[in-house]
Amino acid sequence: MSLQIKPILVALRRHKAGTLLIALQIALTLAIVCNALFIIHQRLANLSQRSGVDEADVFVITNQWAVDKSTQQIDAQVQADMAALRQLPSVRDAAPASGYPLAGVGSDNFVTLTPDQVKPTTDSAVYVGDEHLLDTLGLRLIAGRNFRSDEVLMTSTQQAVFPPVVIVSKTLADRLFPGGSALGKSFYAMSATPTTIIGIVDSLHRQGTSQWNKPYAGQSLIWPGRPDDSRGIYYIVRARPGQLASAMRAAPKALFAQDRMRIIDPKDGLLDYAQIRHRAYDSDRGMAILMGIISAVLLAITAAGIVGLTSFWVGQRRKQIGVRRALGATRNNILHYFLTENLLIGLAGVIVGAVLAIGINLWMVTRFEMDRMSLLYVGVGILALLLLGQGAVFAPALRASRVSPVEATRSV
Amino acid sequence: MLKMTHLSKVYRTEVVETYALRDFNIDVKEGEFVAVTGPSGSGKTTFLTIAGLLETFSGGEYHLDGIEVSNLNDNARSKIRNEKIGFIFQAFNLIPDLSVFDNIEVPLRYRGMKSAERKQRIMDSLERVGLASRAKHYPAELSGGQQQRVAIARALAGSPRLLLADEPTGNLDTQMARGVMELLEEIHRDGATIVMVTHDPELAARAQRNVHIIDGQVVDLAEEPRFHTHAGAGASQGQL
Repeated sequence: MSLQIKPILVALRRHKAGTLLIALQIALTLAIVCNALFIIHQRLANLSQRSGVDEADVFVITNQWAVDKSTQQIDAQVQADMAALRQLPSVRDAAPASGYPLAGVGSDNFVTLTPDQVKPTTDSAVYVGDEHLLDTLGLRLIAGRNFRSDEVLMTSTQQAVFPPVVIVSKTLADRLFPGGSALGKSFYAMSATPTTIIGIVDSLHRQGTSQWNKPYAGQSLIWPGRPDDSRGIYYIVRARPGQLASAMRAAPKALFAQDRMRIIDPKDGLLDYAQIRHRAYDSDRGMAILMGIISAVLLAITAAGIVGLTSFWVGQRRKQIGVRRALGATRNNILHYFLTENLLIGLAGVIVGAVLAIGINLWMVTRFEMDRMSLLYVGVGILALLLLGQGAVFAPALRASRVSPVEATRSV
Repeated sequence: MLKMTHLSKVYRTEVVETYALRDFNIDVKEGEFVAVTGPSGSGKTTFLTIAGLLETFSGGEYHLDGIEVSNLNDNARSKIRNEKIGFIFQAFNLIPDLSVFDNIEVPLRYRGMKSAERKQRIMDSLERVGLASRAKHYPAELSGGQQQRVAIARALAGSPRLLLADEPTGNLDTQMARGVMELLEEIHRDGATIVMVTHDPELAARAQRNVHIIDGQVVDLAEEPRFHTHAGAGASQGQL
């Protein structure tokens, strides 16, 4: 193949327009496809992120009040609802909560190590729940203890004063106090009074999914309390193993038996974690599909462009191919000529495309706070484009190789 | 050097078979300069394409430089074309995208020759046709006569055993044609075997021997008028 490189380059110099067009198309395709693949991979990685929850058995009821209630009435009703849910044979445990992982929305707070610290040390997702929340979510306590019932008070996430004790995720504990020394230590959550870490759970991710690939995605704390939001409260329920479906049927009935003046939206008021995960990653999945389609279309257009141009060149050079055959070229020589020609155009395209791909990524890093793309994507993209080019050019090249040497004697 | 015995070439369609060559016999000795003449459609070009292994034949035998070529595969035929045959076409058939140097290099590259040897041969052949100073020019920058000289240089560079020329002066004016013909005569004097197809009686007369083809067969000029004036004599046809 190498024996033909110089004359091919010489010939390509005299077909600049077509050559540049295809090389540019390859370059743009590579630049876009590399970044699209990177985004797809990131979004797909999000889809498989662990939430920390025992997702197989847990479901969530979004309970809204149909009538206005005082905070005392709400607290009493929540306690009665919890008792009713926990009595169900198919239910292992239940807890009221201000939010849950993958909910999409939820509270978070800046965290400092000293009360007068201006710049926060970090940020943490905030969950409000009672002493049943750890067992209900299936969180594993790896140090310290759970809340005592006397530590759990009727409270609100909007309240300015943080409670005296919290349970934190290991990620937050390590971030605040590196070296595994967080238990018993205090910190401040934009409050003048300190909060002491009494327990550490191994994993509990934040409610939103947009930043799950960030290092701080696993930084969460649980504040002891019974949420008393008058708009509604999440009831987290953990079914006994294998009894999720029956628990999901029984739980709303039990709640309505307690008090009919509530609303559980038939569309999204009762969701198991498979549904929650599906909804949470809807945009990630959509973006991955969109990027996949864009990449596929671009690759198809590039392949079609290569097939079209090469077919045109083969038709245009039919006589020339015949002359080459007459002068001693074998069919393989002709096949290799067109494959090499495409490879040279492809190489020019991917070199420019690689620079463009990295440039676009760097622009997105500064403009949209995206991560830096691994060069592996560029490498894979280059290989894919070159293989695509060789695949696309093969059929017209094969047609060229079948041109008879007798073409050399034909007058047109 | 070139011997065809009872050779035939038939073009078949569903309803008709057309004999382009029928019971065709020719024997060209080494070092001969043979002109092949005949009216249009007589089979001259078919003879040349078969002689040059550009096309296969239907029956008979063809020995080229002692090799029976009828059973050779495509690669072997390409190799023989590359190593033993030099082509000179009426339309020059230079590759317009390549310089004079690169055009002459084409068959040498297919032979897998080393760069230094290729360069030496290219410059030698260009010297021989008097165009050494035009090596970097492109075909479009040369006159018709010069282009045909480059084509001759390309044919000579590979030191072929046989030169096949198809109307080599057909696209040239009289002066250029004379120059090209003198070059061919000079090449022949140096020992080359040349088979030239032409319908120009003046050119044919300058060859060592004339072979006349009519209706796909070699005819004895003593029995036929020396030059046919009727056009499109046509090949013989037979219904299937």
